[in-house]
Amino acid sequence: MMYWVSVITEAGIFAILALGLDLVWGWCGDFDLAFYGYLALGSYMTMVLAIGKPTPPTRYIIGLALPYPLAVIIADVVVVALAAIIGAIALRNLREIYFAVTTLGAVSALYLIVEVYTPLFNGYNGLFGLINPGQALLNLTYDGYRQVFMLIVFAALFLVYLLVQRLSRSPFGRMLRAVREDERAAAAYGRGIFFAKYRAYLFGAALAGLAGGLFSAYISAFNPSAWAPQELLVIYAAILVGGRGNPRGVIVGVFVVYIGFVELTRFLPSPASRPEFGPGDAAGPHRAADHPDAQVPASGHLPRACGGWSGPAEGLAA
Amino acid sequence: MSGHLLEIERLSKSFGGVAAVRDCTFSVGEGQVVGLIGPNGAGKSTVVDLVSGFGRPDSGRITFAGHQLVGKRPDIIARLGLIRTFQTPREWRQLTVLQNVLVAECVFAHESLWRTVTGARRIRREEGKERIRAMEILERYQLSALRDTRAGNLSGGQKRLLEFARIAAADPKLVFLDEPMGGVNPVLGARIGDAIRHFADEGHTVIVVEHNLPFIEKTCDEVIVMDAGQVIAQGPFAGLRDDPRVVDAYLGMDLSHE
Amino acid sequence: MNTFLVNLGIGLATAAILSLSAVAFTLEYAVSRVANFAHGELLTIGAYAAYSGQAIFGKNILGAALLAAAAGGLAGLALNAGLIEQFRGRNAITVFIATLGASLILQNVLMIGYGAANVSYSFRQGNLHHVGPFLWTTSDLEVIGSALAIAGLIYVLLQRTRFGKAVRAISQDRVLAQISGIPARRVIMQTWGLAGAVAGFAGFALAETIGTFGPGLGFGFLLLTITATVAGGIGRPYATLGGALLVGLAVEMTGAYTSSSYQLVYGFGLLVVLMLVRPSGVFVRRGAVAVRA
Repeated sequence: MMYWVSVITEAGIFAILALGLDLVWGWCGDFDLAFYGYLALGSYMTMVLAIGKPTPPTRYIIGLALPYPLAVIIADVVVVALAAIIGAIALRNLREIYFAVTTLGAVSALYLIVEVYTPLFNGYNGLFGLINPGQALLNLTYDGYRQVFMLIVFAALFLVYLLVQRLSRSPFGRMLRAVREDERAAAAYGRGIFFAKYRAYLFGAALAGLAGGLFSAYISAFNPSAWAPQELLVIYAAILVGGRGNPRGVIVGVFVVYIGFVELTRFLPSPASRPEFGPGDAAGPHRAADHPDAQVPASGHLPRACGGWSGPAEGLAA
Repeated sequence: MSGHLLEIERLSKSFGGVAAVRDCTFSVGEGQVVGLIGPNGAGKSTVVDLVSGFGRPDSGRITFAGHQLVGKRPDIIARLGLIRTFQTPREWRQLTVLQNVLVAECVFAHESLWRTVTGARRIRREEGKERIRAMEILERYQLSALRDTRAGNLSGGQKRLLEFARIAAADPKLVFLDEPMGGVNPVLGARIGDAIRHFADEGHTVIVVEHNLPFIEKTCDEVIVMDAGQVIAQGPFAGLRDDPRVVDAYLGMDLSHE
Repeated sequence: MNTFLVNLGIGLATAAILSLSAVAFTLEYAVSRVANFAHGELLTIGAYAAYSGQAIFGKNILGAALLAAAAGGLAGLALNAGLIEQFRGRNAITVFIATLGASLILQNVLMIGYGAANVSYSFRQGNLHHVGPFLWTTSDLEVIGSALAIAGLIYVLLQRTRFGKAVRAISQDRVLAQISGIPARRVIMQTWGLAGAVAGFAGFALAETIGTFGPGLGFGFLLLTITATVAGGIGRPYATLGGALLVGLAVEMTGAYTSSSYQLVYGFGLLVVLMLVRPSGVFVRRGAVAVRA
């Protein structure tokens, strides 16, 4: 039972991320690889704003103990600010592969900085300690809180869905589709291509940041082995399953892919360590989430997300 | 030179050392239908691109309704009231016919992200007016029955008509038509001719790039002839027929027939 | 000892490996118009093949290198026949996603086969040598020497042989090349074999230089490879060599004077900046390639 609460909560969070990503890919036609970075930054920022001062040897910036919802909102603002920079570079006149490579380059740089620069988010060991924010306030048991949290995630997902649906049916959504179908013709009818895509990009990033804020409370700990830019491909697969540019389909797609993935791969033999991609990471956080007293990062002791993601950095210096 | 809607002065553009347009100078008065003709490679389409902001001239000036256009982005130029078409119809394929016309109406205030998030209902109410206008336009081009069809599924001729419906919706001061008769049958051709005359009657200025000389003769008040990137003649069609430079450019083609 | 020159020497060794990887990447792009995200795995496969081959060749480094190249070449052929050709004519992003998927599958297959933990070769790095102002290990010298040799070989192949002429023709226009009687399918196949072999060898050289490696070896190197390729101008083999030199030196030198942990950050930062200012390549005349929409 609690296992399913956990899986469904996670799928709900990723559905919010997918709706944001679909704005960029499904509506505007740009294949972005930075979006997992926005979720991660949303998570990190929420934590440093909500878990209080760092205790040595842990190090991280800010270190406030704000109420969780406020932390999520401020974190989201930071995420949108980062997306504003990356989007300004990547959307101006890069398309297709060039756009994908640029966003991948940006998010990879972010990943490495987070991992290497310890004072930012405690480097490789990551952040932990955001355990059921508000549980005492709501006067709930651990399991009860997880169930309420699931409902909160679903309320957020529903609101996001209504908002995206509203955009989809509006002249704004229609204009984005026109831009996707034929940029030159859209420009010939007075549409600023960059500005149109940029607005959608920032809106999508805001949804990713919100998903990150929820994710941080869901897994209670976040470190570089809990995310890798490639994991975005699962979300892309889910969008493909549900249908690009179709909000309801995207949500269904995420649930199908996520639950299918998690459930099916549980029965596969796993290699010496966890499989790097998708299911492994999906399974990783559950463990932390299901153990209330988890004080160590969810999967910090496990092998790196991608054995050599930064391998050459160490190696080439040799 | 005053009183002209569009003035082009000494416009030049070369691609990889080859001059496509050289010192091209002409102007077009308000409310006229002007044909831009010339042999293949004369630089007509390049002029369309340069004027509409899809290419940047190496030198020269383009003045449109008092605005300097060189260096401006295509969307800015479109917002000033200069709409262009492309050689092949570029409809938004996944949008319906009605949606195509609604986008072309260019009511930018309705596309505000902030207003969409905060007051979608008000936008929908306000858009009622535009929908009625769009339906009237579709009626005029006999596309009303197809309004919910995806534009990508239209026939070639219907796509041409949709292009005219979109221009009518945009209501520009000046429209640049790049070969509107390409691949069009005679019946549809007559309707396109009517549509262009209708634009002029409503006070729009039209510049047509076209190879079909009988069509140009019938439709245009004035003709500009280009060859090798330069304007070699400008004036009423009848007067140009015997102009030796024009005859030369067309290598002695019989200009009275196709 | 002048540390600047030592770092410059290390930079040159990095640049040598990077140039091999980038030339292979750009050859793949030139004939198939594909940004091959499974390119990194060609390197990884080469590295692991040499690792397995140690059982046979013992400490014979040449045998290991040849085995790496052979394995990479076979993998390149398989990738082209099994994936790239199947997706020919499809939208560039679709092919790109397919190669990205192939990359992740290959990484996981290698992880199942060899485990996720890092492994290392038992070859000796050799002594330090003073060459002119530089200080290199034996293996550095071997890497730089063989990179120069391979680059020369590719130059001769592309400029002086019928194969090279065919490759150049196909990279201009595959259909036109086919009409003029060039067996495009076969030449593309051969190019992938060649690119795979060069990548496989580069993977071995990379693993040898680093000392230890895992299934993510090539993927980690891929973005740096793309950076070098973009710096040179994608699809232009000789300009790519210049790009690799530039990126290799930039990454090593900035890393040396700040912290080596940040090397890749600079690399990726450079990629983003290049995309911003010169997406068509540093060594290509501005405006020669239109990436604009």
